[in-house]
Amino acid sequence: MMSDVSQETNARQAILSSIRRHLAASAPFDEQTPLLPQSEAETLAVSSTSSDQSALIERFQRELEAVAGHCVVVRNDREAAETIRRIIDETKARTIALSDSPRVQQITSGLETSGQFLRGADRSALFDCDMGITGVQWAIAETGTLVLESERERHRLASLVPPVHVAILEANRIRQSMAEVLQGINEQTAEGLSRTVTFITGPSRTSDIELTLAIGVHGPGQLHVIVIDDVQQTVE
Amino acid sequence: MESADTKKTYGPPNAFDQNALKALGDGQLHSALRNLVVTFGKRRQEAINSVDDWEGLRDRARTIKDETLAHLDRYLEEFAENAERAGAQIHWARDGSEVASIILRLLQEQNAKRVVKSKSMATEEIHLNAALESAGVDTVETDLGEWIIQLACETPSHIVVPAIHKSKKQIADLFAEKIGIEPTDDVAQLTSAARRVLRQRFAEADAGISGVNFGVAETGTILILENEGNIRLTTSLPKIHIAVMGIEKVIPRFADLDVFLKLLPRSGTGQRLTAYQSLITGNKKHSDDEGPQEVHIILMDNGRSRMLAHPLTRQSLACIRCGACLNACPVYQQIGGHAYGSVYPGPIGAVITPQLIGLSKAKQLPYASSLCGACREVCPVKIDIPALLLHLRAEVVEGSATGTDDPAGRVRRKFAERLAFRLFAFTWSSQTLYVWSGRLARLMQRLVVRHGRIGKMSSVVAAIVPPLGAWTAWRDARPIAARTFREQWRDIQQ
Repeated sequence: MMSDVSQETNARQAILSSIRRHLAASAPFDEQTPLLPQSEAETLAVSSTSSDQSALIERFQRELEAVAGHCVVVRNDREAAETIRRIIDETKARTIALSDSPRVQQITSGLETSGQFLRGADRSALFDCDMGITGVQWAIAETGTLVLESERERHRLASLVPPVHVAILEANRIRQSMAEVLQGINEQTAEGLSRTVTFITGPSRTSDIELTLAIGVHGPGQLHVIVIDDVQQTVE
Repeated sequence: MESADTKKTYGPPNAFDQNALKALGDGQLHSALRNLVVTFGKRRQEAINSVDDWEGLRDRARTIKDETLAHLDRYLEEFAENAERAGAQIHWARDGSEVASIILRLLQEQNAKRVVKSKSMATEEIHLNAALESAGVDTVETDLGEWIIQLACETPSHIVVPAIHKSKKQIADLFAEKIGIEPTDDVAQLTSAARRVLRQRFAEADAGISGVNFGVAETGTILILENEGNIRLTTSLPKIHIAVMGIEKVIPRFADLDVFLKLLPRSGTGQRLTAYQSLITGNKKHSDDEGPQEVHIILMDNGRSRMLAHPLTRQSLACIRCGACLNACPVYQQIGGHAYGSVYPGPIGAVITPQLIGLSKAKQLPYASSLCGACREVCPVKIDIPALLLHLRAEVVEGSATGTDDPAGRVRRKFAERLAFRLFAFTWSSQTLYVWSGRLARLMQRLVVRHGRIGKMSSVVAAIVPPLGAWTAWRDARPIAARTFREQWRDIQQ
């Protein structure tokens, strides 16, 4: 054990000193190397173009559908619950894993469906589930992407192991771009980043056989996003 | 893992000429490559069009990479420190055998016998699977393409789509033989058969091994991109996750991820974003959280730090392994990946392989290019691959790259070359000798001109005029004109 540790300490020193030695050897050549043009690419500034929510929802829906995801916009929890019931009927799901997201718990509590809800399903139980329902912490309109953070969405395997993933998205969590979301997840927490942040854009896919698209290789083959647009409700 | 099959067909990098000839005769390979070029070319262009300032983005990415590489020691230490603070365990490995021994020790400590792997070029580079298998570890690749080639005992022929060389008929036959399904030409059925078999492996796995696309120094985060979901399963189901990361994968800031997330999927598969990205920062924070008990990141050098010694070779370390240069290369388009005899094929492989394994073992690869520059055009981080290839060619000629070349032979060659160029300079510096050398050549070429062309020569003739012999081995040369320009000019003047 000691020898392993000392091997790794040696390796660390050897690699770092090799880097320094070779960088030093490069110095005379570096002076003759012209620098690339410094670019102020669009990505440098995080555009806070938080355009109005309905435009963001519309864009998100369009992009998600372009990558074979399904999207339904509802006005409240009751409509969200109805949508879940419909998806369960359509997919004939019998066992449905629920994440610990408060919003998911709230929507599904008291909901009568033909399937059976499973809270806190463990690893082996998940493999027998037909559907998983999770919350979502952020979404990216430009790419139709969902973002799940482990500090707030702890049962993320429900979004991965069962063949159908249903995600509940609060409309005010949609941002225009990846840059805005990256900034958001890096800034918000005093305790640092979530251990795992997962970005999901459409169902699982592969083109490994003759570049032919096949959906649902290891992850879910179906992705349904239910967007809850509370603002729309207050307007009416 | 080098199998008997692949070995039988394709030799090592120094057998590139013979390998290329074999590949050129493979009709099925050609239709697969045609499909690749057309499909990825179109998808890539569409995806690029969705970005306002693609050129600016490429410059930005390259600037970030240059900045990182110029201070790689500092950024690596920052990365290691932050990852450890977040709960990951960092290991350092000088080469492939150190990576393998670290992994074997970790597996032994956890009594882990069944390993699931997700696609990683770094582990392909060091032939990790072979090392694990010979130590009795049951290792299964879980990316569909990688699993196919593992079942077939082959090596990847493309960085992004490893089994691009195989037809669905071949894959169907392979599945029928290895997992006992009914042969089918339905890709969806083949895919779901793979899902079924690999699900079982995921459910049983003790350890997961993955690669890393980017490591963020500022936060100690690793980012891994994928489409299938096997990386998410590999990194979250087993009790231990081991990530193998080349030391060049580090980038300074969390916000830099945005730049690379725009470039990599568009360049690699022509997607605006792959289906999944996993950002992993250290270990889980609550004992009842999902995810492994332990996270290990192995920082691997394996010849990379050497490449820092010159600004040109250092560019090789900016590569983000998108594979766009393969798809764009007229040489790769004709011969595919296996002909390069290395896990890194195509233009970037012709640059990286000689630097990783030593130029003397891959002398032919810098010449596996027409220097057309298509690779440089598509590279998302603007690596000047043609300039690098020329740099390596110069080193091949100088024989100074590895120190393993025969020094006496180098002196002899240099003497002969100097003599030839002196003679050349002496002759063509004099008008009279220039005119007479042309007349002499016109006379002599009658021996080799057939049907108005100089074609492939007999070995005897080729031995007498080596440069012309080498040239005409692969293409015809044009004979010297019957009447020179000077003679024609003189006639006009009269």
